[in-house]
Amino acid sequence: MESAVELTGVNVKPSARVSNDEVVLDAPIEAGKTVGNITVADPIFSCRDVDVYYGAKHAIKKVGIDVAKSQVLAMIGPSGCGKSTFLRCLNRMNDTIEGARVEGSILLDGKDIHDKKQDVVQLRARVGMVFQKPNPFPKSIYENVAYGPRIHGLAGDRVELDEIVHNSLQRAGLWEEVKDRLAHPGTSLSGGQQQRLCIARTIAVNPEVILMDEPCSALDPIATARIEDLMEELRQSYAIVIVTHSMQQAARVSQRTAYFHLGDLIEVGETDRIFTNPRHKLTEDYITGRFG
Amino acid sequence: MALSLEGHTTRAFDGDLSALHIQAVAMGALVIEQVQLAVNAYSNWDRSIATLVLERERKINLYDTEIEEAALQVIARRQPVAQDLRAVFAIDKVVTELERAADEAKKLALAVLAESDSSGFRPGAATAREARQLGRLASVMIRAAMEAFDHLDPVAAASVLQQDLEMDSEYAAALRRILTRAMEDARQVQAVIEAAFIMRSLERIGDHARNIAHHVGFIGGDADPSATGVLPASSVQVRN
Repeated sequence: MESAVELTGVNVKPSARVSNDEVVLDAPIEAGKTVGNITVADPIFSCRDVDVYYGAKHAIKKVGIDVAKSQVLAMIGPSGCGKSTFLRCLNRMNDTIEGARVEGSILLDGKDIHDKKQDVVQLRARVGMVFQKPNPFPKSIYENVAYGPRIHGLAGDRVELDEIVHNSLQRAGLWEEVKDRLAHPGTSLSGGQQQRLCIARTIAVNPEVILMDEPCSALDPIATARIEDLMEELRQSYAIVIVTHSMQQAARVSQRTAYFHLGDLIEVGETDRIFTNPRHKLTEDYITGRFG
Repeated sequence: MALSLEGHTTRAFDGDLSALHIQAVAMGALVIEQVQLAVNAYSNWDRSIATLVLERERKINLYDTEIEEAALQVIARRQPVAQDLRAVFAIDKVVTELERAADEAKKLALAVLAESDSSGFRPGAATAREARQLGRLASVMIRAAMEAFDHLDPVAAASVLQQDLEMDSEYAAALRRILTRAMEDARQVQAVIEAAFIMRSLERIGDHARNIAHHVGFIGGDADPSATGVLPASSVQVRN
């Protein structure tokens, strides 16, 4: 029967594969030539030409990027790409590392954070940090949150301090779970609760920016979901910068994504675009799991 | 950037995506044959070929279900992003276009089976020729679109968009010619109405081929196939 069929055999010559070189760049970029728009309209942080050296090692190369208010910026990239190093520049945590040298301009609300007049303790209150592993102080839940406001003199009396502790725990979504055991040690809480306690501790001193360095990597999926939910709430009041190894997490929580590779900031863009149509091949290869 | 569904660190992901792609290509080969068989059945008024077209329709529906299930599995298990995500989406859409093109081919077969007992609507030699000509164009288009899809080649896909312009003018001309015949001989009206529907089906198959080409461009990152630079934006029309 098939032989009765008149076959309209047409050979379509295989054409040369499309080369989208105009929009997609294959080669590693020149330092400081990031793909995408590094600027935002009303930045809280404005970083330009940031270089970081650990002794002779050039860990961050001419990175420039703005951090927007009321947004989550996710920084992704393979291990050793410099994303955590860059995060630590934002509240001068690299100062504590021997041999580390930071160059370039990092402006917080228009003022250089490396200015001699800048009080580093004050800076770290304005730019709080949440670490990979929950690290509550070996004190009570109450004291964990009250410590910062107390040393920064944010509360006039015990009533005000109680209120700050209450509000901070409430905003961190932990109040209902700990309100009857504020005197218990912070370390008695579960991992997810401890991480939310650390977030409460960070927001107790009224920061403007919260830095998060893989805040969920030690947590189970439910605890992770609660932190991610919390980030969505917190970004209404604070700018958040998160370093994460989970690309799904970056896609879920952030509005902007920055991709780092061997110390270069390769690409910055709206998260919506980065995860559907990235412009640099290195970004594409990394997020689609083709790296290396 | 050359389009490739492979190269993942997790090689099983390569396998899943390639399997999905290959299944859709195989379905496409079946649909191309269906179109050719259906045109043959209509233009030669061959009841046995028409029956064959209907029998094979079930296979096409099976492909449709299987590929949709496989695409769901890839999304659920692999969480594809960027080009991979666009590919899974596009493959699913290509399968829908193929299924609809096969439905149009089925309409030709049904026309033959419904009317072959009566002599009324059998196309005359001229109408059969028109159908063969449009059918050839439709086959060429769907074959070219599936070649572009097989090689994930957006440039080749863009050439299908050009062919669609030719199809549109051929369809308009063929319609004019058969309507003229109806005006000349009122006894032809019923046969001509039937023929007009058949030609419309063939033109629709061309539209599905064009949409497949559009989806290949989408995998390459083009929201608009004219962005490949092969066609001026004004010549690209997107229809449903």
